[in-house]
Amino acid sequence: MLNVNKIRADFKILNKKDGAIPVYLDSACMSLKPNSVVEAMNDYYFNFPACAGRSAHRLGDKATKKVKEAREFVAKFINAKSEDEIIFTRNTTEGINLLANSLGFVKGDVVLISDKEHNSNLVPWLLLRDKVGIVVKIIPSNTDGTFNLDNFSKLINGAKLVSIVHTSNLDGVTNPAKEIIKIAHKNGVLVCLDAAQSIPHRKIDVQDLDVDFLAFSGHKMLGPTGTGVFYGKSELLEKLSPFLVGGDTVEFSTYDSYKMLEVPEKFEAGLQNYAGIIGLGEAVKYLSQFDFNDIREHELKLNTYITEELKKILNIKIIGPENPADRSGIVNFYMEGTDMHKFVIMLDEMADIEIRSGQHCVHSWFADKKIYNSARVSLYLYNTIEEAEAFITNLKKIIEIL
Amino acid sequence: MPCLIALIVFGIMGIFSASHRALAKEAFDCIFRRVTFRPCNTGFQDKIKGKILSKIINRSTFLAKMGNKHYEVLSWIFFILMVGSTLWVLRGGYNFYVYGSCNGLNESGFCAFDPKGENNKTTAVGDSTCGITQNEVKSVALNGVDLSDFPMRKTESENTVIFIGCYDCDYSRKAYPDIQRLVEKKQANYIFAHYPAKGDTTYLGEAGYAVREIYGDDAFWKLNDYLFTADENYILDKANLNTILASFNLDVKKVNDLANSAEAQTAVENQIKELNKTNLYGTPTIFINGKPFVGPKPYRVYNSAINRFIFF
Repeated sequence: MLNVNKIRADFKILNKKDGAIPVYLDSACMSLKPNSVVEAMNDYYFNFPACAGRSAHRLGDKATKKVKEAREFVAKFINAKSEDEIIFTRNTTEGINLLANSLGFVKGDVVLISDKEHNSNLVPWLLLRDKVGIVVKIIPSNTDGTFNLDNFSKLINGAKLVSIVHTSNLDGVTNPAKEIIKIAHKNGVLVCLDAAQSIPHRKIDVQDLDVDFLAFSGHKMLGPTGTGVFYGKSELLEKLSPFLVGGDTVEFSTYDSYKMLEVPEKFEAGLQNYAGIIGLGEAVKYLSQFDFNDIREHELKLNTYITEELKKILNIKIIGPENPADRSGIVNFYMEGTDMHKFVIMLDEMADIEIRSGQHCVHSWFADKKIYNSARVSLYLYNTIEEAEAFITNLKKIIEIL
Repeated sequence: MPCLIALIVFGIMGIFSASHRALAKEAFDCIFRRVTFRPCNTGFQDKIKGKILSKIINRSTFLAKMGNKHYEVLSWIFFILMVGSTLWVLRGGYNFYVYGSCNGLNESGFCAFDPKGENNKTTAVGDSTCGITQNEVKSVALNGVDLSDFPMRKTESENTVIFIGCYDCDYSRKAYPDIQRLVEKKQANYIFAHYPAKGDTTYLGEAGYAVREIYGDDAFWKLNDYLFTADENYILDKANLNTILASFNLDVKKVNDLANSAEAQTAVENQIKELNKTNLYGTPTIFINGKPFVGPKPYRVYNSAINRFIFF
């Protein structure tokens, strides 16, 4: 069981002496950062702000060592076979774009995605469709937002890649990745998982999943902004042709030739965000101290309370399955004909409660369902039941006056 | 429409506050999108509405409910009130610049720019009260008043300044240098009238009459200038009059003889009778081209009256 008070003590923003402490319920967009992450980044900037992997001096050595450490932490965190399977990116979007531009798609190749993809796992494929002529097929979900394996099985034949969200930021539904991968592999299809929303909340074991590619961001898992990871099986990464090249990606070059470095370096072009990478390593280290079952149990407790209370309010519709256990830490709701932005503004103004409104970068789903927007509560390990209660109390007040 | 209202409101408030400037820009963006046939996608209206209702809801749910229900109507009401009060403030500012009082010429109501009413203070005629006196201003006029017997400095100018003041009145003494400066600068026709509103200063009026009769206007203006600018306690001590007259190389006896004569007393009384016809209620009262300015106004007010800065 999580000791939430102890966890909250690790976050400066939750222990402010001046001003109100925010009731932060927007972790699906951006998580808060523990002090240790910020301190690790500051440590880099204050004490060894040098180039990693190229400068031979002591500061450079220390930076290299810390970046290597971060890579090892991440590799261990997702149980990658080797740290070389870890490519640092800016975010999930960059990871998926890397794959889209490196896997060698040709006209007619089929990519399967779900009908609830974040723009980061939709637009790169649509762009490739327009530029190269690939075929993008959408796997329709069940009416409650859960994954439909039958629909998937019908479409899998002949596909080159399944690129699918692991846990949806729209409704919190976690797709059955293991089954999807199994079916895909049986059909000789590669699988990429968008794990941006799953990795902060559940244990991911890439070997157990047997996933080919995995992309996630640091900023949703207590890490710094502008950090992310793209994982790929070694043998597959070897075959990928990098789409961003230049500094730090080649062993040597002449005026008319070059020799690429091995993975992961060949995919990490240009000077990297060393402070961010070190911060990400620290976030992974911080997160590793917890049992993910405890995190899920805690989130479920809060989600159940909020769900039950929302159900009592007339006209509120929750996106996704009814059972909070199927929605991770997310409660996304809307009222027909109501712009949910006003709820967000008022909750913030009234009680410093931060939730998010809009279409949550899943415009395609909202356009299809003809829903204007929604308000999303997303929970994490530092949230408390008192915060959930404050949210409900203030939400009820707003609904009363509208 | 609320965006337009918001633009005007925040535009005005933005003059003084950076945070309101940002809201004004947002409102402008919203209107710009509307006039270019695009939807206003900033959520600006909801943002403002939400912010307002959030402030109310913590105090009264009922009021917040009403505020939400009648938001547009209330917006209009507050907008009209704001425009009205803005115009009122602008009018006040204009009046203050042109008349020295937010409320209009010689109006002595409260004015934020002159909270103590310094520009309207007078020594009241009759009871010699010093301070603000509110009377029917419109009745103060020169109609039917014969000013031919008063000291006068004629020029070619079409402008005429008449200064009715009392040597013992602080406010007259305050206005005096500005009037002299104005007359000098504008080369205006100038008439001076002494009205003994405070204390026993009739003898100074009589002395002035005598000096003018015996030595002419120049000598009078010099004496008059001295009486308004020298130490007040000194000139108001009757015992010092002879010394003062002597300092101007005047024949003290001759002046005193005429000043104490029935002729001088009658002349001064007649002058006061004429001045009373103006219905003046306090000193100083200054007529500039016939328009009365009661109380010591800032110089710009007198200057504006001659420049005809005013349009209505």
